[in-house]
Amino acid sequence: MRTYELMFVVDPRVSDEDVVAMTAEYRNMITAGGSTITAEENWGRRKLAYTIDKLNEGKYVLFYVASEVGKTALPEVEHRMRQNEKILRYLTVRTDEDLTRAARRQPAGGAAPSVPREDHDVLPLGIDTGADEEDI
Amino acid sequence: MARARKVFFRRRKVCKFCADKIDYIDYKDVKLLQQFIPERSKILPRRISGTCANHQRPLQQAIKRARHLALIPFTTD
Repeated sequence: MRTYELMFVVDPRVSDEDVVAMTAEYRNMITAGGSTITAEENWGRRKLAYTIDKLNEGKYVLFYVASEVGKTALPEVEHRMRQNEKILRYLTVRTDEDLTRAARRQPAGGAAPSVPREDHDVLPLGIDTGADEEDI
Repeated sequence: MARARKVFFRRRKVCKFCADKIDYIDYKDVKLLQQFIPERSKILPRRISGTCANHQRPLQQAIKRARHLALIPFTTD
């Protein structure tokens, strides 16, 4: 199972209803292609860090997609986004590899400081390892 | 402590991501990324920030992704 994040920025002159309609269209494309959308975020209108096509704002939408290997419509979706001039930017990122790697480093499963990785806990007491002499 | 006697007292730099145990650097986390882009919006080098190589790499990737989506500026002018 692979997971992806697909984020795109829509022209702010497009009305909110039309953004919802566009989002629905892409959502249908993704699900029709055999992937599932695990989550969706609509950031709404947000200031751009730099001007794109003389625009200073954009509407951000984000999909979290999960799909089996080879069964994904994301290339087609990207192709459609490229052709849609109402879409200023889009970005697809594959996240499963990085997320599993991060999860492996934190066996607690995301909750960061709950399990401190202090190796000298394992050592029997009374042996001076010099671990206390940290230089700060 | 003893070696600080020489020139200036220099604080030892620690990788923020190791210290905070952040293993996945998200390009959407603008607040986090902004700490690594100073005034000119350049990516802060390791030798300044103290970030370890294993974290600087994904950090750099995340900053570039965020730039593409206009979450973070390329430059300031």
